Amino acid sequence: MTFQLELKKLKRTGFFPAILGGGAIAALFPLLNTAARPEMFTGQPLPALDILMNANGQMIIMLNLCLAAIGACILYHTEFSGNAIQKMESLPVSAGKLFFDKTVILMIALLAALVIEHIALAFCALYWFPEQSGLFTALFKNLEYTFALMIPPCIILMIFSSLCRNMWITLGAGVICIFTVSVLPTDNRILSFFPFSLPFQTLAGAEDSTWIFATLAGCAAEIVLTVLAEAILLKVRRRYA
Amino acid sequence: MNMIETQNLTKRYKDFTAVSNLNLHIQKGRIYGFLGPNGAGKSTTMKMLLGLTAPTSGSFTVNGMTYPGDRMRILRQVGSFIESPAFYGNLSGEENLEIIRKILGLPKICVAEALETVGLTEHRRRLTKKYSLGMKQRLGLAEALIGQPPILILDEPTNGLDPAGIHEIRTLIRSLPQRYDCTVLVSSHLLSEIELMADDVGILNHGRLLFEGTIPQLKNHAAQMGLPVDNLEDTFLAMIEEDNRNRRDAR
Amino acid sequence: MNFFKLIGVELQKIRRSHIFWILLIPVILLWIPTLVNYDFIMNPATEGLSPEHNFFIQSFMGLAWFMFPASMVVCTVLLVQTERSHGGILKMLALPVTPAALCAAKFAVLLLLAAVQVVLMTVCYYPCAAIVSHLNDYNLILSPLFVLREAGIFYLSGIPMAAVFWLIAVCVRTPIFSMGIGLASIVPSVLAINTKVWFAYPMCYPFYRIMILMNGLPNGDTHLDLIPLLPMAIGITIVCLTGACLLFGKSERR
Repeated sequence: MTFQLELKKLKRTGFFPAILGGGAIAALFPLLNTAARPEMFTGQPLPALDILMNANGQMIIMLNLCLAAIGACILYHTEFSGNAIQKMESLPVSAGKLFFDKTVILMIALLAALVIEHIALAFCALYWFPEQSGLFTALFKNLEYTFALMIPPCIILMIFSSLCRNMWITLGAGVICIFTVSVLPTDNRILSFFPFSLPFQTLAGAEDSTWIFATLAGCAAEIVLTVLAEAILLKVRRRYA
Repeated sequence: MNMIETQNLTKRYKDFTAVSNLNLHIQKGRIYGFLGPNGAGKSTTMKMLLGLTAPTSGSFTVNGMTYPGDRMRILRQVGSFIESPAFYGNLSGEENLEIIRKILGLPKICVAEALETVGLTEHRRRLTKKYSLGMKQRLGLAEALIGQPPILILDEPTNGLDPAGIHEIRTLIRSLPQRYDCTVLVSSHLLSEIELMADDVGILNHGRLLFEGTIPQLKNHAAQMGLPVDNLEDTFLAMIEEDNRNRRDAR
Repeated sequence: MNFFKLIGVELQKIRRSHIFWILLIPVILLWIPTLVNYDFIMNPATEGLSPEHNFFIQSFMGLAWFMFPASMVVCTVLLVQTERSHGGILKMLALPVTPAALCAAKFAVLLLLAAVQVVLMTVCYYPCAAIVSHLNDYNLILSPLFVLREAGIFYLSGIPMAAVFWLIAVCVRTPIFSMGIGLASIVPSVLAINTKVWFAYPMCYPFYRIMILMNGLPNGDTHLDLIPLLPMAIGITIVCLTGACLLFGKSERR
């Protein structure tokens, strides 16, 4: 019920067109990159998806994180810009439920963007690369994995968004977090658990199944921690508002 | 002499006409009450006078200057209060006024004067986003009054104020022509309020001017039309009602 | 109304916006890893690059490729939102200032904020270089002439990009699209610098300059071809600024 209301609030904000459009732009990277120099990729002795992810994964994920950051900005900007949040707080809706609904919307929109990107990857693999078995299973697994790892950064971005009335602070904080990934050394296993580094851990780059399991476990732990943090922050804010 | 004059001023949006062939005559040194129900086109007219929206057809002059050629000169002489709240929430009331003072090139003392005039001096250092509705309204007025411009355009300045505040602002506006020798165009949807403030009245309904003249003239006019005149508010309502009926019949 | 006074007014409007922190934090984040991994700097990835140049380039590259452009996108959001969120722009348009002058003053503030970030970056360079020099027992501090010159070029190369972002912020009124287009246009600059027509893509200018330095310093050739870059950059800047000034406040005056 409240979920549909949240969807309605996004009317005319351009939320879905922007995220889907962003997904389409991200989908163009592998297409253009492979079309421009197919010989560079097709010769490599790896599964097609791994080659494509190694070549384009970074940029696609970077763009997805940027999309998540602006999406999070807008989800709460609609509340703050006309002071609608005050009305919401005076209605029998819990702030936690509001946050949950908004986060789910962000996740669904990003999932849609990821699907678009994976369709592009599938197209590249089928069009330029030799026949291969298990492509779709691999694609599906990759989609699930990437999506799961996107959850912690999304929750954190939503926390920023729910706390800051000014959109530029939300955006600035999000952008700084995304940027931090690029200054962190990539060879450090512990630092790869930094929430915004997580999505950059591709299946193609994983060493073995324990590695994947550990990454997913870290991701799950972060989800629990961030949700807890938001719950506490909401309580604190109510008390000191 | 007419300070503001409009000639067949018209504003049409895609499918509806907000203001239609308006001919206003606002005399120098007087308070002109601009009356009409919500959505009658009062704000649109005022926005056109300030060049915030371009007329579809027709023209107007302000103190002999024409739009759009003299827009900047017009704005220099007009203090305005439109569609409150218009302010920077991250700044204090004083800082908001400071910005306007700098743009208008006024001396520093003007800020304190304007604050004093509207009674915001003690709240001048508070951030405007924390202001109450009434305080925001007062700040909007201060923004219009700063530097004592010869022409004031005020759009429903008493909206959101408490009875004491309404009285205070009304008295303030009433005193302006004598104090600063200025001309005031003030809008409202309450005739009772206009009656207490204005010398002249213009009544607007659905973008058309139903009446223009002094309050006694309005009473005469209403009596001739067979409308109640004991209570002016009833007169106004009856006039609007009558016009709406005519419009329906015409359609 | 003098233009500098108008800039002063615009600066006053962004008081308490906390934008300074958003400019400062990434700069600090950039320098921390170099302090932690101080020995790393002694083995440049590029053949023949001296450690002192490597130190300078590694840090500036981090800023150039994402954070510097992204900071500017954030600043445009700030400049546009302060004006629109409480209807402040309505008041401004009812005052005797031309919208074009207002727009130009805001762009000047954007350039000023960009300058603040570059200055912060340069100011932080010296203490960090001194500390890392001490830790490595190797003098990493470059001559101020080189550092200031490169920081200056870096800043100038960001101006066309700022103009593009400003045009986007002014004419795309839906915030999500203006932010989205801005951020999305940064990411492909990695691809753009490797193409022959890089000069047509202003978002990659600062990044391209640092790449030239990285590849050119070992053999002493850091020369940047000014044709067709310069006419292109000036053209883009003028077109974007003119467009922004013409469009500014248009929808509020409909």
